[in-house]
Amino acid sequence: MWIERKVLAQEIPASAELDTRQLCEVLAALGFPVDGVATLEGTEALDVDITANRGDAMSHRGIARELAAKLQQPLAPIATGLVSEGAALVPVRLEAEACPIYATAVLALGEGVTPEVAQSFLRALEASPKRLPAVDASNELLLRYGHPTHAFDADAIRGAVAVRWAKAGETLVTLDGVTRTLMERDLLIADEAGPIALAGVMGGDRTKVTEATRRVLLESAWFEPKVVRATARRHSLHTDASHRFGRGADPAMARVARDLLVARLQAWCQAKLIGAWTAGAVPVPAAPVELEMALLARVAGEIVTLEAAQEALTRLGCAVTAAGDRLRVVSPTWRHDLAIAEDLAEEVLRLRGYEHLPSVLPPMEGPPEHLAPAYLLRQRVARRLAQLGFHQTVTYGFISPEADALFASADNPAAGRTLANPLGYEYSVLRASLLPSLKTTAEQNLRQGSRLVQLFELAPAYRSTPAGPLEQVALAAVWGGVLGGEDYLSPARAVLEADLAGLARDLELPGLPTIHRLADGLFGFEIELEALPRPQDRIIPVFRPFSRFPSVERDLSLLVDLGQSYAALHQAMSAALPAGSLLELRCVDVFRHKSLPEGQQAWLLRMRFQADRTLVGDEVDGWVAAALVAAESLGARLRA
Amino acid sequence: MDQLLPPEIVEAGQTFPAALAACGDLDALLRLKGAFVGREASHATRLMELLKTAPKEQKRELGAAINGLKQQWEEGLKARQAELEAAKRKLGALAATWDPALPPPQPPRGALHPLNRLMDRLVEVFRPMGFHVEEGPEVETEAHNFDGLNIPEDHPAKASSDTFYLAAHPELLLRTHTSPVQVRTLLRVAPDLAARGGIRFLAPGRVYRKDEIDPTHSPMFHQVEGMLVGHGIGMQHLKGTLEYALRALFGPDTEIRLRPSYFPFVEPGCEVDVSCPLCGARGCRVCKGSGWVEILGAGLIHPNVLAYAGIDPKEWSGWAFGMGVERMAMMLSQTPDLRLFFENDQRFLKAMGGLD
Repeated sequence: MWIERKVLAQEIPASAELDTRQLCEVLAALGFPVDGVATLEGTEALDVDITANRGDAMSHRGIARELAAKLQQPLAPIATGLVSEGAALVPVRLEAEACPIYATAVLALGEGVTPEVAQSFLRALEASPKRLPAVDASNELLLRYGHPTHAFDADAIRGAVAVRWAKAGETLVTLDGVTRTLMERDLLIADEAGPIALAGVMGGDRTKVTEATRRVLLESAWFEPKVVRATARRHSLHTDASHRFGRGADPAMARVARDLLVARLQAWCQAKLIGAWTAGAVPVPAAPVELEMALLARVAGEIVTLEAAQEALTRLGCAVTAAGDRLRVVSPTWRHDLAIAEDLAEEVLRLRGYEHLPSVLPPMEGPPEHLAPAYLLRQRVARRLAQLGFHQTVTYGFISPEADALFASADNPAAGRTLANPLGYEYSVLRASLLPSLKTTAEQNLRQGSRLVQLFELAPAYRSTPAGPLEQVALAAVWGGVLGGEDYLSPARAVLEADLAGLARDLELPGLPTIHRLADGLFGFEIELEALPRPQDRIIPVFRPFSRFPSVERDLSLLVDLGQSYAALHQAMSAALPAGSLLELRCVDVFRHKSLPEGQQAWLLRMRFQADRTLVGDEVDGWVAAALVAAESLGARLRA
Repeated sequence: MDQLLPPEIVEAGQTFPAALAACGDLDALLRLKGAFVGREASHATRLMELLKTAPKEQKRELGAAINGLKQQWEEGLKARQAELEAAKRKLGALAATWDPALPPPQPPRGALHPLNRLMDRLVEVFRPMGFHVEEGPEVETEAHNFDGLNIPEDHPAKASSDTFYLAAHPELLLRTHTSPVQVRTLLRVAPDLAARGGIRFLAPGRVYRKDEIDPTHSPMFHQVEGMLVGHGIGMQHLKGTLEYALRALFGPDTEIRLRPSYFPFVEPGCEVDVSCPLCGARGCRVCKGSGWVEILGAGLIHPNVLAYAGIDPKEWSGWAFGMGVERMAMMLSQTPDLRLFFENDQRFLKAMGGLD
């Protein structure tokens, strides 16, 4: 809220002695940081950030009160007892507990407009003056003292006034011209012809003050914060009044604000007071809250004397009595946020300044816990992928239904994963797979000139279940573009499915995941993180003896059908060899060319043999021959 | 003459130049050589056999044709071999007279996402003080996201204008902060809290709020939550821990400042500033000349939060903090636009992410 320094100084003269920077620092130390400073209407104003629990501070008077307590300087007095009350001119019935007090007055308006100084104050605080003294005075009072009031056209009111709960279906045209259908939990002000205001939120159109208004009926009441908040929310009607009442106004200000409003109208437009009266009374304060000194010492980190605590709370307006090792504290009528001992402890520390808090490392009371294996696994995988050239992405968890459908399985309907109130259609479904997001991101990178795109993401993917979306952390990787060709030694080639298969092997996936062709030359796979092998419990594996004898390498070039299964061939050839003799059998080259017989390809197979002795050529020749026979049984033949 | 030769050999002969050109290295060339002019089962040996069995009157003409073909093949092979050997020599020469200024082959290098990197760093900083990592789901219940955190029934954050809800499950929402992990963790450890000797953990993760996407807002962002529960925990412990952690993060000369603030789940509550890590508190654009930057919100755990989890607030107390990761990342890196973190342009990731 904007606080004008000139008006603040009228409430607490000592504030004028602080320069802006000092004032900002004092306010920040009290819990009211200043977000900005501006010169408005020729005077300096501070944009003070006031937290939602401090309805009492949402005015110049409220901020002044805080400064007075901190600086130990007096507040300017508020003139009270300006208005003597008499009999009710119009009966006011309080029919709901949510309104315990309703102070009012009826005045006959005279000639005159809102004085320039008040208009300028309103303009500076971005509240445009209406040039109707009754309306402007009410607004000025709200910004200055934090108490919302309202002026009705007294001649538009029919019969007695009641503060009551709405009846379902009742309607009210509010000041903004909108017809509101009320609900039973809406508190309203009504006359005998029906609703005339939404209590604490907004007045009604039928009884509004206009240029033609001759007599006004003032309202200065107090409404239960919860009730006002609910009504404001139900009708999406957030006003300065609902903001203050909703965060807790001061019931003791009801009469005072009425008196101040009367005095302003008398001064601004020669209004004549016809009568003033109050229905109800300021509610009895809540039971005192006890603050034990032991709790205060625990929160503060050091002993705070009973006297110091008592003094601090008294400065804030609390009624404090000492009782042994504790204080009994009744909060002032304007504070609704002091409900438990911890609240009071905070007040003592706040007034003293958090800069005085000691700084201590908390002692360990038990052994530290390990990092969870699933967490460590994610860290390990992310680092490995980054080392392999992949970039970790962070994309939104919700995508469009079309994008989601690309990779969602049939048993994972989007309906169970759809948001009720998405930002937009394109962000409406919790994704079943990370691949749509990665595909989009990869294509964007390629479009923007990336020669090679390598991306991965570790994030939850969602599965619809009757109990709601089940999330499982998934790993998705996409790879596309051109590999190599960027230096004089590395040949260039396109990324292929096989590269993704190699990546899957590097990550020690138990099998080959489905490799999706996401676009021309762009491939990807996705797995549940659960599928990855967990880091072993052992720090290092059990020792397994290994042969120190040199291995022997033999290559076989085989002609096989284009449809030949490599796995079957590999299996057959391995099986034909004595157990333990074959260290490795791998295909190191594939040759497909017109020069080969039609429908055939050449595979260059490399076999590595090893034993616990030096291998002799004849023995190895025998093994190679056996492996060849096994290969031939599948239709392969030796290529010359 | 060609009609004298078997058609497959004629065809092979026609494809020979292309096959020759396709040989990228000497191994491949050797295989091609084997297929055409090898001593066994090559086109040449087949042709020789053909010649042996050919009728006498054809032998002369056929022999000439075969010789022509073989010569053509051998010459081609020889020339290609010379080329490949020259290339290999050139490579050898390159290796012999290596110019270190030539761009070398570069092992691949990717990057972790800067936000993940920052969260990992925070975990690293808190680890020596005995903090571990707790995690929770992003789809949460109202109970965990609001009720267990002392957030009143009618709090505006619950409105559908602020929080995403699931259409088919009105009681489920996308968590609006990492604080529900507090609730879940406290509920889980409450029965054996004494045996554990309290608990201390960080909860990094993704959270969602219904904000339009613009340079400073994103409907999805990251937080790191910290929590400690023990005996006799007060504001001094919060200050001590944060001082240690923020100095580890920003440097030993870093000062911290606690200011009173309000969050429903803590009491007392505070906001924490650090002396501006960019200008050393001398005043700059980032700290708006004040020398301080707001870095996180914190406080002592509200007794209602402990009680909700079944922990006696008379015996136990603790502190909690919550920190916006993007905000911190943007401040430290002076990235001008939040959207860059979710665009995932490789150039940005490479420059910002690094490997550890």
